[in-house]
This record gives sequence, C-alpha cells and structure tokens, in this order.
Amino acid sequence: MSTKESAGRKINWSAVMVEGRALIALALIVIVFSILTPQFLQPETLLLMTRHVAMNAIIAIGMLIVILNGGIDLSVGSIVGLSGIIAGWLLQGWNIPFTEMVAYPQVWAVILISVAVGAFVGWINGVIIARWRVAAFVATLGMLYMARGVALLISNGETFTDIKGSPETNNQGFVDVAFAAPLGIPMAVWVMIVVAIAASILLNRTKFGRWLYATGGNERAAILSGVPLKKVQTRIYVISGFCAALVGVLLVADLKAAVPTAGEFYELNAIAAVVIGGAALAGGRGTVRGTIIGAFVIGFLVDGLVLVGVSVFWQVVIKGAVIVLAVAIDQAQQRLQKRSGVRKTQASLTAPSAPTSGDA
Amino acid sequence: MIKRFGRTAAVVAMGSAMALGLVACSSDSSTEESTDAATAEEAAAEGAAAEEAASGEAGGSVAVITVDPSNPYWKAEVDTAVAELGALGYESTVNAHGNDPDKQNQFIDAAIAAGAKAIILDPAGADESVGAVQKATDAGIPVFQVNAEISEQGIAKAQIVSNNAQGAALGAEAWVECMGDNLDYVELFGNPTDNNAGIRSTSYHEVIDPLGFNMLQQETANWDRQEGKQKMELMIQAQPDLKGVIAGNDEMALGAIEALREAGKLQGTCVLGFDGNDDAVAAVAAGEMVATVLQPIVNGTKTAVAQLNEYLTTGTAPAQEKQSIDCILITPENAGKVQGFTLSE
Repeated sequence: MSTKESAGRKINWSAVMVEGRALIALALIVIVFSILTPQFLQPETLLLMTRHVAMNAIIAIGMLIVILNGGIDLSVGSIVGLSGIIAGWLLQGWNIPFTEMVAYPQVWAVILISVAVGAFVGWINGVIIARWRVAAFVATLGMLYMARGVALLISNGETFTDIKGSPETNNQGFVDVAFAAPLGIPMAVWVMIVVAIAASILLNRTKFGRWLYATGGNERAAILSGVPLKKVQTRIYVISGFCAALVGVLLVADLKAAVPTAGEFYELNAIAAVVIGGAALAGGRGTVRGTIIGAFVIGFLVDGLVLVGVSVFWQVVIKGAVIVLAVAIDQAQQRLQKRSGVRKTQASLTAPSAPTSGDA
Repeated sequence: MIKRFGRTAAVVAMGSAMALGLVACSSDSSTEESTDAATAEEAAAEGAAAEEAASGEAGGSVAVITVDPSNPYWKAEVDTAVAELGALGYESTVNAHGNDPDKQNQFIDAAIAAGAKAIILDPAGADESVGAVQKATDAGIPVFQVNAEISEQGIAKAQIVSNNAQGAALGAEAWVECMGDNLDYVELFGNPTDNNAGIRSTSYHEVIDPLGFNMLQQETANWDRQEGKQKMELMIQAQPDLKGVIAGNDEMALGAIEALREAGKLQGTCVLGFDGNDDAVAAVAAGEMVATVLQPIVNGTKTAVAQLNEYLTTGTAPAQEKQSIDCILITPENAGKVQGFTLSE
C-alpha cells in the first residue's frame, strides 16, 4: 500500500499535510469514541467495523482512479446491486431460454460472471464517455438508473434468498467462499487489501498510472505529449465497475440474500471517502492510501455514532458536517500551497524586469 | 501492457456479453409495467372511445399508481390490481411514485390527459396527496385508494387502509409472550419520514412500555435488510444484554436475524417483524422470528377493484369511504398457509 520515497528525494511536505489531515481526523474519531464507549476498541468491534469499511473502501479505490482522471462514476451503487442480483440469480439456477433446461453454474463461474458483468457495465460507461464525449456525470447518472432497472427486471423486484446451492447441482459453497474469514480476517477485508495493493502498483509503477495522473492534471498537455486519452478513460470505468461488482458479490454473501435494491447511495459514500482522503475532484491529485484512510474516517464515524447511541438524525448531520469540513480544510490548504508556490517562483525569477502573470 | 490489457478487456467483454444475453432474455418476464408514450396514447384513445360508446359498462383504462414495486409488498399490490382489473375487462397502466408527491402529481396529470376511467392510488403521504386526489376527482375521474389514507374525506370514492396500529399491537403481544422474564430489547425503526414507521412503533410501545420492558437502543434502518444487518451487528456489540428486537418491517427483521445468527445469539433472542412477506413467513416457520404481522394487501386491493367496478358499471359508490382492514398475526401455527401476502383458509 505504501509508496516508498526514494532516500535522495526531498519529502513532499504538502502531500504529507494533505494525507495527515485525514489521519488526524481518524485519530480524533478513534480517541473520542473510545472515551465515549469501551466497546469501540474491542477487537471484535474493530473487526466488524473494518468489514463495513472494506465494502466502501473497495468501491472508493475504483472511484479514486476515475476521479484522478477528473471523471466521476455515479453508477457504482447500481452496479453493486446488479452484480449481486446476477450472482443470486445464477445460484438459484438459470432457466436457459427456449429449452426446459436449467443451468447451475459452479460457484467460481458465478463469481466470475457477476464481476465480469460489473466490469462490462463500466466499459459501456467508458465508451459513452471517451468515444461519444458525453460528460461523465451525465453518462454515469444514466447508468445509475439503467443498471438498477436491469437488476429489478432480472429479479422481478424480488429478493433471491436461495443462494446456498445443493449437492445435486454441484453449486454449493458460495457463502463459504465469499464470507469466509481466513486467519480470522473477513474476506471483504482481504479483498480490500488486495485491491489496494493492486491499485497502488497500477498508479505508482506503471505507465498507465503516469498517464492517469497526467490526464487528470492537464488533459490538453497530456494528449499533446502522446497519452492515449480515450484508452485511459475507457479503462478507468472498467476498473471502477469491476471494484463495485466485487462488493456486490461480497454483499450477497454477507446478507445471504441478493436484494435488487442493494448498494443504493454507495456512490456518495465512495466519493466522500475519496475526497476526505485528499483527492481533488478536478483530477490529478489523490492516493490509494489517503482514500483508504478516508473510508475508515467515514466508516468509523458512522458506526461509532451507532455504538454510542447518538440519535439517528444527528448521525446524518454529523456525517455531512465531517465531509464538508474535510473538503473545506483541503481547499484552504490548496490555496496556501499555491500562494507559497507562486512566492517561490517569483523569488527565483530575477527580480527587476520579469512581469509575472498576476494570479497563478 | 497495452496489449495485455486489451486481451483481458476482450475476455471480460465476452463474458459479460454472454451475461448480457441472459439479461435480455430474462427481461421479458415482466411486461406488465408498460409506461411508454405509445401505450399511453392507445389507452387514451380507447378510454375515450369506451366513454362515448357505453358509460355504465366495464372496460377502458384504469391508472394504477403505487409506491415501489421493487418491494414485495407493493409488488403484490400492483400484481393483484392488474390481474383483477384484467379479469373484469379493464386495461391498466402502472406507475410508481416512490413516495414522491411531485411524481405522484405527474402521474395523476398523465392519467387525466390519457382519459383514464378510474385511478387506483397508493398515496404518497397523507397531506401531500389531498391536492392530487382532488385534481383527479375534479376532472371526473374517481379515485380508489389502497394501503394508505389521505387527511381529508369526501374526495376519494374509497380509502381502504390496513390497520397498522391494530396489527402492531397483535405483534407486540406475541413478542411479549416470547420475551418471558427478559426485559432488555432494541428497536429497528423504519424510514423516519414514513407515517407507518411512526404508527407501528407507537403501537408497539403502547403494548410494551407499561409492562416494564427496557429499550436499550433505537436505530433506524430505513426499511432495508442490509442496513438492518449492519445496525444490528453494531448494537449486538454495544448492548450485549439484548434479548429482543422489534422491527418496523420484515426486511429489517431479516437483516437483524442474519446478524444475530453470525454472532451466535439467534437462539434466545425474540425478533418481531411486520408485513408478512414470504421470506419472513419462512423465518417464522423456522422458529427464527417470533411472529410477523400480515397486511392483507391482496384482499384490500381486490376490494378496491371490486368497488371500482361497481361504481363504473352501476354508479354506486361504496357506502363507507374509509374502510379499515384488520391485520393478521402470523405465528408458526399458521405460517404454512401464507403465500404472496395471502392467508389461505
């Protein structure tokens, strides 16, 4: 997860500050809640909350990759619902059309197909945005409705509860796989760790990662320097859809039922985690580490308020206030950095003649 | 890197295309909810023709406006209405407002424009829906309400409401019996902006509170199973002493049961649901849920359609506008006889 700074390079203090802010918020939340309720720091409770956090963090990492490009993906919540419904539907047995046969895919195939569907929906998003030049906000807003609608069509509005499979059809064990806890750590947390490491490598060690930061920082300049923008844009939505679909499958195992309305408003929690983690919605700035901390801030806050027993309405107000506060501080820091940056540039230029452009 | 990604993408796309094929095949299973302009126009033309030809006869188009068919409860309502109307020779258009009064208004306008002969409405809010019902009535379209009421009488032809208060009291009594000497419990509250969440909770507490029970915590889970599970997982940690759960609907109760099962606390905890959906009835039969309360939505909707037909063919409005249908307690004894929100005798 961590990016090793090479020894010779100077520490980028502003980056540390941005990430530090989320860390400070997380530390504050942990301290306050552990004073308010002894339950908060119990290992069992921490594990439980981390499982809740993991779901949001996985989606948020996909969202981060989209936001780095300056895009947004509002359809992730619906993709969660759709891939979950596909999993539940296939586990129930799929009536092959025009025949009397019922197909019972094996568990690994069920998981693969469900996740592939999510990635495919993301790919459609990407094509609409990259090739047809539709604004990401609009394209994914449309997909938010379409994916949810398809999930409702498939399930006919009902909940699939028979996901255990049976020995005759050889499709048992879905819950055992997706809700297992190897080494005492829930599967969702393992998936989060793997996704985080993969995303870290993708962003920091590959050409694709550099393209992504470049297109988010200055799209025009990136294109001129030969970055294949369309390719980058299509791929990021595939990744985002893939991450959301993983969560969809995990949720089905968690609830032992596939609910067509699962994942509603998850996109908002994911965006909040990314933003609290120090990413800029305009693109070009943000880290996987920060995003995960952001997800922990939101998750621990929401769960902590329930543990303490704060009134429901206050829970909503406080959650919103923390998001706004985090972004407000972020913006203030941005301005500060810019100003000091300009000052440094001005200082380095030869004093007398240089007419520096007023505001950077 | 690029090539490799391209290949993976192709594989993913292929797999997904297959899956999408499945999607396309399955989508024809639900064809009832046609709302496109063409059908609306057709229906309008037909409705107008029917009016000219023979007022006083069955037939024509009826607008069914419901809340949210993705919830099994409202789905049963819609399916019943469409089937009953079809059997009597009416056509029906189905729309869902999702408890949004603005959307409800639009659907009422559309029904008026399309010349619907009558409207079956599950209103979005008691106060907010008065204007919409008035508008339809002024346009000469009789409105028959099911499931929920509006705050004024004398506008709609019928308001058929299941008695939530009576049902909640029944459920609470069964739950009290299960609790025995244990007094500590938590509550999962429905969507706080929904009238029924308050009505059910109040009626639960009217039964429970005088008996000295001790509510450790109250959380909302917005009628949702996943949220019910998450909130319950946290409350199990925060309140290790809890011995009972009262939930505002079945979905939240089912989420709570899942959380209790994982924590190994399902045995010895009394969980109460409400609605009588099939999953909950199965849980009652399995002894995981103490009881659920069946809202006779299917019977209520059948009654509404019958009264609508009576009014359109003979001009007789129901003798009483407000009609309350009692809820039925579902316990392990009668759980085997419940399916699709109906209790077979």
